[in-house]
Amino acid sequence: MSDKTQAIFTGDRCLSCTSCMANCPVMAAIKDYRGPKLVGPAHGRMHFSQEDIEATLEFCSNCKSCDRACPSGVAVSTLNMLQRAEYYKTHPHTQAEDMLAHGEKMGHMVRMMPFGATFANLGMEFGKALNIFSKLGLAGERDMPAYAMTPFKDLYSRIKQTAGGKKIVLFTGCYINDNEPQVGEAFVKVMNANGYEVLIDKGFNCCGSPLVVTGYLDEARQHADNNAARILEWKKKGIPVVTPCTSCSLMLKEEYHELFGEHKFHEAAENVYDAFEFLEILQERGEFNDNVKSSGEKLLYHVPCHLKCQSIGLPAANILEDYLGAKVQTADAGCCGISGNYGFRKDKYDVSMKIGAKLFERVKRKDFDKVISDCGTCRMQIHHGSGIKPCHPIEILAAAYT
Amino acid sequence: MKPFDVIVIGGGLAGLMAAAVAADNGQRVALLTYGSGSLPLASGAIDFLDAKAPDVAIKNLPAHHPYKKIGLKACDAAAKFFCDVTAKADLPYNGRLSAQIPIVTAVGTLKYSALVPESMDASNLADKKKIFVVEIKGLKDFYAAMIADNLKKIFPDKTFATAKLDLNLLGGRDITCMDAAQIISGNEQILADGLKTLDAGDDDAIIIPPIFGLEGNASRAAIKSQLRAEILETTCLPPSPTGIRLQRAFIKFLQNAGVRIFENSKVVRGVLDGKKVTGVVVENSVREKVFPARKVILATGGFYSGGITMRDFDQPREPIFDLPVFFPTGAENWSNEQLFSDEPQGFSMTGIFTDENLRPIDESGEILFENLHVVGANLGGSDFIFERSAGGVAISSAYKGATS
Repeated sequence: MSDKTQAIFTGDRCLSCTSCMANCPVMAAIKDYRGPKLVGPAHGRMHFSQEDIEATLEFCSNCKSCDRACPSGVAVSTLNMLQRAEYYKTHPHTQAEDMLAHGEKMGHMVRMMPFGATFANLGMEFGKALNIFSKLGLAGERDMPAYAMTPFKDLYSRIKQTAGGKKIVLFTGCYINDNEPQVGEAFVKVMNANGYEVLIDKGFNCCGSPLVVTGYLDEARQHADNNAARILEWKKKGIPVVTPCTSCSLMLKEEYHELFGEHKFHEAAENVYDAFEFLEILQERGEFNDNVKSSGEKLLYHVPCHLKCQSIGLPAANILEDYLGAKVQTADAGCCGISGNYGFRKDKYDVSMKIGAKLFERVKRKDFDKVISDCGTCRMQIHHGSGIKPCHPIEILAAAYT
Repeated sequence: MKPFDVIVIGGGLAGLMAAAVAADNGQRVALLTYGSGSLPLASGAIDFLDAKAPDVAIKNLPAHHPYKKIGLKACDAAAKFFCDVTAKADLPYNGRLSAQIPIVTAVGTLKYSALVPESMDASNLADKKKIFVVEIKGLKDFYAAMIADNLKKIFPDKTFATAKLDLNLLGGRDITCMDAAQIISGNEQILADGLKTLDAGDDDAIIIPPIFGLEGNASRAAIKSQLRAEILETTCLPPSPTGIRLQRAFIKFLQNAGVRIFENSKVVRGVLDGKKVTGVVVENSVREKVFPARKVILATGGFYSGGITMRDFDQPREPIFDLPVFFPTGAENWSNEQLFSDEPQGFSMTGIFTDENLRPIDESGEILFENLHVVGANLGGSDFIFERSAGGVAISSAYKGATS
């Protein structure tokens, strides 16, 4: 790892081969977007030397299919995000962008009110019914993710942990904390079963992914600085930071460094693991607790784009197959289309649903017992597009520990 | 992670083919790719050699040529397997090793290949009366007049006509053949109606850019059934629908066969146990990950794909297993300054030498690893581009490597 991986140094490797265009799900869905090659590496290099905005930059969903298609290691999508940040230096954010970027802040506000979650969820139902979301520039067709009655960080203190001496820190992520705390609970159960006590660190911020994609790069930088400093503290104590959210882990492991380039981000990244990546490392060391109930379930696995980027294989599929006797079939239907907060924008809703159509068709075939996916927004999109509610693979594993 | 029976490194044509053959033989296969491979940039036509009868020409090659290790039997079997894979994806191919089939290029010349998509097979062009060349309003890089002018030089006795159809492609970005193919897919009637206005008869042919969708043959079938004239697609500038269709046919085959495809997985070295490779190491942004395997197929390509690198002159390297790389000695033999002359480029002969089972060998001919097979463009001993054998060597070496 060196400066070679900082996005702005990768643009010059572009040969204009068009592999990114052939693999861009947004280009496949609509004609408006000029595509990753022109917007990212080509236009990006010009942009850093002069004031010039590519109008179709807004269509990039940061799914990173282009990065994976690129044979030359160009950080195409991050070049797009850096340009998006430049754009917002001279252009105001809309109210919708502000809301979508600041889910963490909104979550805090809700928790400050007595019965805040109940009222917020009611409010969101009314908001949807009265078409208020649509007027704000949000996708009125969607349910906004409902707040859990108790966020994970409060729930956590009530969990009786059974583990011995080894410790890890859970990087909860906003979605698991505010919306699906049961994933956090499942994580604790699995880690306990493997001899790890789970700590949380209330000093962590949102990883910053929603900020980066909406052009709040300065704020994202503050989050990155804070989170990296916290992670380095844990590293000093020899305690790894683990997260079941694949977009959080990609941000912490790779994108901080790609975006901001400082060596400390790489040093911090070395102490961060995806949840199943961590479990597979335990398995390789012979430390994985294989005292599990065999389920033999048929699982359809939608592999999130941001997991595919991480070059760690498919550890969840391996563990569920090897120890639970599950039959894991990958959905192989491409990006789900929601890409974080992209599909929540009113003007991106149709694109997002068009991209996800193939996946929805696949899920609707219902030739499996459950759908699994490591990413919270992927799960929301699959539920919205197919009516079938997926779960996180860690929930399947947790259920197998008695 | 349980060991895979076979790990294939590289997602180009050779890697896809090797993974398909291995999976078809009942093996548990993983395909590790870094970048999407060059098929979206290619025509999808497979050349074996620039010769009227490639099979005869293969017999006459020198002993160090990759085809001599692969053998004609594997070449034939590879061609058959390849056509089976595409047929399964409803992407019919024509051809065999004993003859070549012409296809029309984007500039109106004819290019001859052994295996070609049925939609490009221009074998019957010589028997046609009138040839229509049709361009599409707003579509980049396709010039009907130029194609007609150049084809006229090959077929001076024929009548040519050009036409321009408006398929309402304008609006948004500049439209490539890939975009047009995507838009036509599921909306074939507008193209069919436009082509019907040409009033082309049974003895005529219509030449269009490659826009019959990005998967299989459905768009072409929907349009063909409404026309009396034969309709042909040309090659085009990338991204190329005909190459994308081929890539998707293979990926579909691999998915149906249960092959695990790991994208963005750059292999940095092997895990070695004496003369055995027991796995490969993938480097990600912060750490390494071992993928264990019983057999490894190296399909990482040549200079263009990073399968062979060269930082110092005369010091070419194979970066994963550090295999010996053979190259023509003497700087004067390295390059031919006349780029478009009828002489090959010395540097293109660079690559790995192997035994009959495509296992890498050193200068004394000793096999370096018993369960590592080298396939595709990182094989040494021929200038694939000059002799027009890249596709043929890719699929036949992949077949041989996967079955050895």
